[in-house]
Amino acid sequence: MASSTVMREPAAVRRRRRHERRHEIFWAVVFLAPAVAALVVLRVVPTIGAVVTSLHKAFPGGIIPATFAGFRNYNSLFTDPNFVSTIVRTLVFNLIINPLQIVLALLIAVLFVQRIPLVGVWRTLVFIPITVPMVGSAIAWGTALNPNGPVNAVIEVLGGKPQPFFTSPHQALASIMILASWVGIGYWMMFLISGLQAIPEELYDAAKTDGAGAVRTFFSITIPLLKRPLLFVLVADTVANFVLFVPVQLLTQGGPQGSTTLLMFDAYRTTYGYGSRNLGAAEVVILTVIMIFFVLLQFRLLREERTPT
Amino acid sequence: MTVFPRTAEVADRATNTVPASTSGERPGRTSARTVVLTAVAVVVSVAFVLPAVWILIGSFRPNLEILTSWSPLSWRLVIPSRLTMENYTHLLVDSGFARALLNSFVVCIASVLIGLAMSAMAAYALAVYHFPGRSAVFAVIVISFMVPFEAIAIPLAQQFTTWGLGNTMTGLILPGIGNGLAIFNLRQFFLGIPTSYREAAMLDGASEPRILFSLYVRLSGPALTNSALLIFLGQWTAYLWPLLIVSDNRLQLAPVALAGTFGEHAADYGQNFAGTIVLTMVPAISIFALQRFFGRLSVGSGEK
Repeated sequence: MASSTVMREPAAVRRRRRHERRHEIFWAVVFLAPAVAALVVLRVVPTIGAVVTSLHKAFPGGIIPATFAGFRNYNSLFTDPNFVSTIVRTLVFNLIINPLQIVLALLIAVLFVQRIPLVGVWRTLVFIPITVPMVGSAIAWGTALNPNGPVNAVIEVLGGKPQPFFTSPHQALASIMILASWVGIGYWMMFLISGLQAIPEELYDAAKTDGAGAVRTFFSITIPLLKRPLLFVLVADTVANFVLFVPVQLLTQGGPQGSTTLLMFDAYRTTYGYGSRNLGAAEVVILTVIMIFFVLLQFRLLREERTPT
Repeated sequence: MTVFPRTAEVADRATNTVPASTSGERPGRTSARTVVLTAVAVVVSVAFVLPAVWILIGSFRPNLEILTSWSPLSWRLVIPSRLTMENYTHLLVDSGFARALLNSFVVCIASVLIGLAMSAMAAYALAVYHFPGRSAVFAVIVISFMVPFEAIAIPLAQQFTTWGLGNTMTGLILPGIGNGLAIFNLRQFFLGIPTSYREAAMLDGASEPRILFSLYVRLSGPALTNSALLIFLGQWTAYLWPLLIVSDNRLQLAPVALAGTFGEHAADYGQNFAGTIVLTMVPAISIFALQRFFGRLSVGSGEK
């Protein structure tokens, strides 16, 4: 009898476990359904749509059904010197703006964790521009950097020559970097301030005892211990800047002389301005592949944060 | 992690966590250092805030005066001859911006409500249940929603148009509901809620939806506020999507409506500035009012 109880118990436990498991899987499916549906409708369908469209060829606005074209759209994109310059320009733009924003954000963050009077006020002032939507920043800087605008008035008073800014192929992209950084630097600064404050104070005390100077301390304590937040903001910033669209569309339309044509704007113009859906879709696919790469990196950095290393 | 570290807390802690640089140094050297650092801090923060102040002042000055105040440089650049509300009345009453603002509010609020419900359900399933492939499902959902929506906005707009969602509120709301970081944050927060709470609720006979909505959601105020703000700000500043999906001016959202006035009447800077201020005030107020709800950024801090 005793042995039969022993035999029955695990069976009951197993049955209950199986029941619990089924219960859990049922509710997991119910609760995940809306997110998965949204994911399919909002991400998977358009991505597949873009891939399929990019592999076909049709006449703009034509009634003739599209025909399969293989990689011909990609081929014509990559043999078009204008598109190759757009890709190179987008990469160079990101190689400059992202490190620039993060380095400036880091320097300001380091300044704002020092013992200085009213530090909260200074911090808030740098933080204020992040509340300005990109449209507002484009209007503000588009106006301020007008060749007859206030920035040139200041330059003239200081004895400099007025600059063309958005009207010059040599300065337009840099001007876009200024207006994007005005919003971006304060945003990333807040992340880095949190990271800086998590560095144990004892390390700084120890460095001091060892007679390390400010620069030495910065490079051997601050930077190594801030590595992960720095990487995270760098990747997150890259993801944001790869799809920068508003200032290009609103202020320069990709000009002058194509100097501000970034990939996101080019995909938009190819599709809607030139009516080439298929080529536009190929550009979207290229952009999405680049984005997925950086988002994977960002996700890894998010995850690593959670598991002790 | 949370997207907006608490500025107030950051400010509070600043004085305690500064590397103690003063001890053992001559007082004269310390104060010289403080003076230099403060001077740099003032210059940096003024440089950042000046364009915003200039826009704010411009929005309250007579429109025609803005252009003439630029050059040559004088105190007129920042001191108006008189203050006026006419830019705001023109913008809100005459140019139909009020309607665009209302549309933006409706889209934002609906997106936040739907997006939070969806994200909380997904986060709950991914935090409390154990099923095969859980971490893979989690990764796929978060990564897909983290890819900036702009990247696939063009094919999605074409898809939405064929589904008859062009020029509809639904079409404007739907793409904004999914936010990868919102789901990530909520799940992370749910993982921190002790499983004994859930077990106790189950013993009391609470159903799963009830445990989620009356237990987990109630305990997750800060994470929910943070996620709500992420979704809200995403929709409030959305530009490319409404540009693609809406052609009917009566349905247009505020950022695109504002951009439209900037392009057309190149001289009406007063209205442009007033629109920029209105569009900025909403995120500014919500961020500064809600910042105390946000946990500190944990990327790099090693805290959970």
